[in-house]
Amino acid sequence: MEKHGFAQCLHDCKGPEMKDPAIEIHDLTMAYREKPVLWDIDLSIPKGSLCSVIGPNGAGKSTLLGCILGTYKPANGWIKIFDVPRDQSQELIGFVPQRESVDWDFPIQVLDVVMMGTYRSLGWFRWPGKAQRDWAMQCLDAVGMADFKSRQIGELSGGQQQRVFIARALAQDTKIILMDEPFAGVDAATEVTIREILIDLKKAQKTVVIVHHDLQTVEDFFDHVLLLNLRLVAAGPTATTFTRENLLRTYGGKLTLLDEAAEAVRRIRSGRSTGKRG
Amino acid sequence: MILPNTLVVLVGTSTLGICCGLIGSLLLLRKRALLADALAHSTLPGIVLGFLIAGSQSYWALGTGALITTLVGAGLVSRLPVVSRIRPDSATASVLGVFFGAGIALLSLAQRSGPGAFSAGLDHFLLGQAAGMLQQESLILAGAATLMSLIVILLHKEFLTSCFDSAFGSSTGMRMNTIDFIVMILLSLTIVISLPAVGVVLTAALVVIPPATARFWTDRFTIMMAISALIGAASGISGTLLSSLRVDLPTGPVVILCSSFFFFLSMLLAPHRGLVGKRLRWKQRSQRREMLRILVHLFENLKEGNDFVAKERIIAGSMRARPDALRLCQSNGYVLQAGTHLQLTSEGIIRAQRSVEARKKWIRWLDDAAEIDRNLIDLDEEDIEKLLSSRPLLDQPSPDKKPS
Repeated sequence: MEKHGFAQCLHDCKGPEMKDPAIEIHDLTMAYREKPVLWDIDLSIPKGSLCSVIGPNGAGKSTLLGCILGTYKPANGWIKIFDVPRDQSQELIGFVPQRESVDWDFPIQVLDVVMMGTYRSLGWFRWPGKAQRDWAMQCLDAVGMADFKSRQIGELSGGQQQRVFIARALAQDTKIILMDEPFAGVDAATEVTIREILIDLKKAQKTVVIVHHDLQTVEDFFDHVLLLNLRLVAAGPTATTFTRENLLRTYGGKLTLLDEAAEAVRRIRSGRSTGKRG
Repeated sequence: MILPNTLVVLVGTSTLGICCGLIGSLLLLRKRALLADALAHSTLPGIVLGFLIAGSQSYWALGTGALITTLVGAGLVSRLPVVSRIRPDSATASVLGVFFGAGIALLSLAQRSGPGAFSAGLDHFLLGQAAGMLQQESLILAGAATLMSLIVILLHKEFLTSCFDSAFGSSTGMRMNTIDFIVMILLSLTIVISLPAVGVVLTAALVVIPPATARFWTDRFTIMMAISALIGAASGISGTLLSSLRVDLPTGPVVILCSSFFFFLSMLLAPHRGLVGKRLRWKQRSQRREMLRILVHLFENLKEGNDFVAKERIIAGSMRARPDALRLCQSNGYVLQAGTHLQLTSEGIIRAQRSVEARKKWIRWLDDAAEIDRNLIDLDEEDIEKLLSSRPLLDQPSPDKKPS
């Protein structure tokens, strides 16, 4: 390995080097203008992990995904995908965008969205054909949305929309998948479906990185966690990293408020599951 | 009676309509419709400069000049927001104003001190005069428009990706910058070749109106492109024909009037998104809801032993039901009127019962769903029964805990 300078010291403090990670980020600083939105990030995401990115609003979570995807060029530092530098890597990464970033009135139907996942493999000028259509149908079926293939995307509920975009990422058939808040504003049925998909992806040895907002479910859903607030606060296996102390360092004073809300939700949920309905 | 020359011109303007319709769809879906207007106006200084430099009004001289300034305008519109903090819409508006202003200033210079004879052709470039086009010009126009249409059709998958989800496209390694560049070049060329036919001021309308019209008819990108091309061609043909009826009628405005006629027709009559259909469906829906409200009310009364309810109490009173809904109840055979009183028929009882049952189940299902699907909330009994048989309740209450 090459020399790393001062960042190597920090890196060393964070525990032993990971063996062939899926994504490796080193000394990364990202700035749209002068001020950085991500500062001096060092981290590795192990192959085959379900990894969540946690942090307050404006912590740079989506920007981090953008850097990994290659949409943004970092100001400093580098990213490696399967040990190949990002700008040389031909490795494809599946992507599920944030709901807000999609134009829901666009004239496009569900199946057409999923088919977009196959476009890259077709190359310039070639039109998608029956093989692509069948594959897209298969992916749509995997998220339980096959019945909705001819709906305009704006006519779906939030959870269904989210599933369609996950199907598109599945259609890309990549080893790494990034998702930006897939659980935001979805119904219970969709939450169950997305979890099942995540478990399947883990079985298939895929690496999944998810920006997540619900601290309640982190421990249930993910085996790896990144705590982010402009800088990387902590990274590692959920069991040892997702601690109250680390969360406090990530969210600062805001956590107390979050804590109370979370406690309230937990009480309500446990009350509901013991069967006090109607 | 169509002259051979008119026929050639028709071929030109119809292929131009197709080309504008296709490229316009791309602009409209990127929400950059104003871009067409800015680029069209930035041709004007180029036209005049071409004339001043070449010293003649030749098609090629003016066209080359127009193309150069349009490309400069296009470059400014796409680069300014990237290098400075100017927003894209401000950049577009500024380019439009500055270039058109420069064009007008140059024009008055050229008319006063230039090689003369320019003023005669001026309004042709501002407003278009398809009938005045030479055969050769029309054929060049037709050839270029066909070629560009083919490029758009071949690259529709790339254009779809860049319009719908550019971030996703670049994440898959598709070259979004190249695609955006191609769109800009195609748009600039389209605008330049359409100048003799439609003119500086109105070219943008020919690019924007057909796709806006097509959007009323479909929910699919490719079909929208096809319809837009069709409407573009139809406007081109009808506009040229109408304007050739009288020589002094400029083509541009007539083409635009034709396409806006299609626009208003579609806005009113398109089946799914048209205003008339929407209004009718809204009315039917609310009438049906009102009908069920009446039936359920009568049914509740029946359960309390009141077989007859005064019509007055339904129409006025606390119900305030709409009379047209009551008529619908009667015409469906759900309600009979006996004097001043109303009575549920046996069909009416069945319908009311079914509606109440379905509604109960439905509300229980909605309680469990964290979000509400706006397309689903207002359903008929049949739909609810079908939906719930395929999608069981997540947290089904056991029979002994049935809500009372």
